[in-house]
Amino acid sequence: MKKNKTLIFLFIAPTVICLLLMYVYPVFRTVIMSFFQVEDLTADLSDWSFNGVDNYIKIFHTAGFITSLKNFLAIWIVGGAITLSLAMLMAAILTSGIRFQGFFRAAIYLPNVVSAVALATMWVQYIFNYDYGLLNQFVTMLGFDKIRWLGTDGKLWAMIAAYIYGSIGYYMLIYISGIEGIPADLYESATINGASKSTQFFRITLPLLKGIIRTTITFWTINAATFYLWSKLFSPVQTEGSTIVPVVYLYDTVFGGKGVVTRDAGAGAAVGVVLTLIIIAVYLLTDRLLRSNDLEY
Amino acid sequence: MEKTKPKFNWKRECRMLPGYLVVLLYVGFMVVMLSWIIGASLSTSREILTGKVLNFESGFHWENYITAWKTQNVSIFFGNSLLYSVVSCAGVLLIAAPSAYVLSRWHFTGSRLIRVALVLSMSVPAIMIIMPLYTLAVRWGIRGRILLIALYIFMRVPYTAIYMLDFFATLSHDYEEAAAIDGCSAGRTFWVIMLPLIQPAIITVTIFNFLSVWNEFFMALIFTSSKEMTPVGVGLLQIVNSMKYSGNYGGMFAAVIIVFLPTFLLYLVMSRRIISGVTAGGVKG
Repeated sequence: MKKNKTLIFLFIAPTVICLLLMYVYPVFRTVIMSFFQVEDLTADLSDWSFNGVDNYIKIFHTAGFITSLKNFLAIWIVGGAITLSLAMLMAAILTSGIRFQGFFRAAIYLPNVVSAVALATMWVQYIFNYDYGLLNQFVTMLGFDKIRWLGTDGKLWAMIAAYIYGSIGYYMLIYISGIEGIPADLYESATINGASKSTQFFRITLPLLKGIIRTTITFWTINAATFYLWSKLFSPVQTEGSTIVPVVYLYDTVFGGKGVVTRDAGAGAAVGVVLTLIIIAVYLLTDRLLRSNDLEY
Repeated sequence: MEKTKPKFNWKRECRMLPGYLVVLLYVGFMVVMLSWIIGASLSTSREILTGKVLNFESGFHWENYITAWKTQNVSIFFGNSLLYSVVSCAGVLLIAAPSAYVLSRWHFTGSRLIRVALVLSMSVPAIMIIMPLYTLAVRWGIRGRILLIALYIFMRVPYTAIYMLDFFATLSHDYEEAAAIDGCSAGRTFWVIMLPLIQPAIITVTIFNFLSVWNEFFMALIFTSSKEMTPVGVGLLQIVNSMKYSGNYGGMFAAVIIVFLPTFLLYLVMSRRIISGVTAGGVKG
């Protein structure tokens, strides 16, 4: 087909402008800013002063950031292990020939479609509510004392539990599409040879899903590292140590929040870079550990 | 994919009982939660606090919805979100569709680089871009609704372009050749012939763009500077926060339902398309 240079230029230019303006320029500027002393985001470039890795040293010596990293690790590792296993379990169940699987798939994916703010509000204001909440009604029904689910000790785990409930569906759909891509005759011959359902799952399904598991780990890492909304809704007015996550720390440092004396855009940029490096490191690591050995099937 | 339904077989179903229990537990929890929230949105604050939500002793309090809509400004938030979602969905198509088309049709200087940049941009976390974007917005004096609309359009361009690219690639070149013989210009050929051919992809990608913009929260929180431009997510957070002072629980739960409904209804109608789109899109490892 003939190349029409004007057409190509006119058609591609808006996207190139978008890429440069929205992604390339901001990413570079954030990285550069992380090596400078910048107090206010709107400060002129002439007010930036180079201070090497001081921003990084500073954030790693700030209690708030360290706490947020610990919470991130809890969300990432514990939350990730539970979410991905439950998603895999649901996927296995919903591909096993169960009835109404279309309905179940749709219902379990539903939390991913509705407003997460509305969903988190339902959890905070109903499920975990001390006075009339679902969990405490259940607890009193069993004859125990009411529990402060959103007390300082339990809040992080309450938040993670609510987040897991809403996230399972997405990873489940990815696993389902992976499982449905495995040829049925593999399972047929396994059944003929007397392999049980669980043996088939561990010997056929899991190994063939390696590449997809790797993808979901990367997705989960991105979601855990950029976790913000749920933390904000579990501690809406004032940031609390029990639920602070790196992005909340970043927001407070850059845009101001309770307990932030001086804004520090440079430190905020450093937090962003650290999170991005974590994501890249996890991606490279899982890529190496779970290399799909190009199985032909 | 046509599946033949197996005949009902008690032995078979019994073996799957644990599976049924797991998924039923999950769905049952959701049903309980949603019915209670709907119940609470129709109850008085006193009924909610004393745990008598689903009795409706004093009838249905539809006025909670009126309070939420009018006095708690949900009408403004709702209108804003609708505006943001609809305008960005259209805007992103205008930018991404032509680009996806030329990328799928021709190799040219930088075309590989642009493809790679589009894929990479999809995984750039918002935290890496919001700070310079904030600076730019302040410096260029861009404020109000137009700012969020522009950001949302740009936010969805990479995903939309990549998604459509795959569909354009499946179209035969015969269409363009026939159009060229009939004297149709290349630009016109795209808008009149090629774009309508990928209508199913446009619908799917628009649904995802709509959901994503309607539910977006982080950028909205940072760039919202007045009540007039607040979308539903941030607005709902404000309502929940002011609850401590207003004490209007019924109104708050009504607001939750109003924010919850649009994407929920969209999902009821489109769930099949949405579910198949989740995995068909960028998920290729």
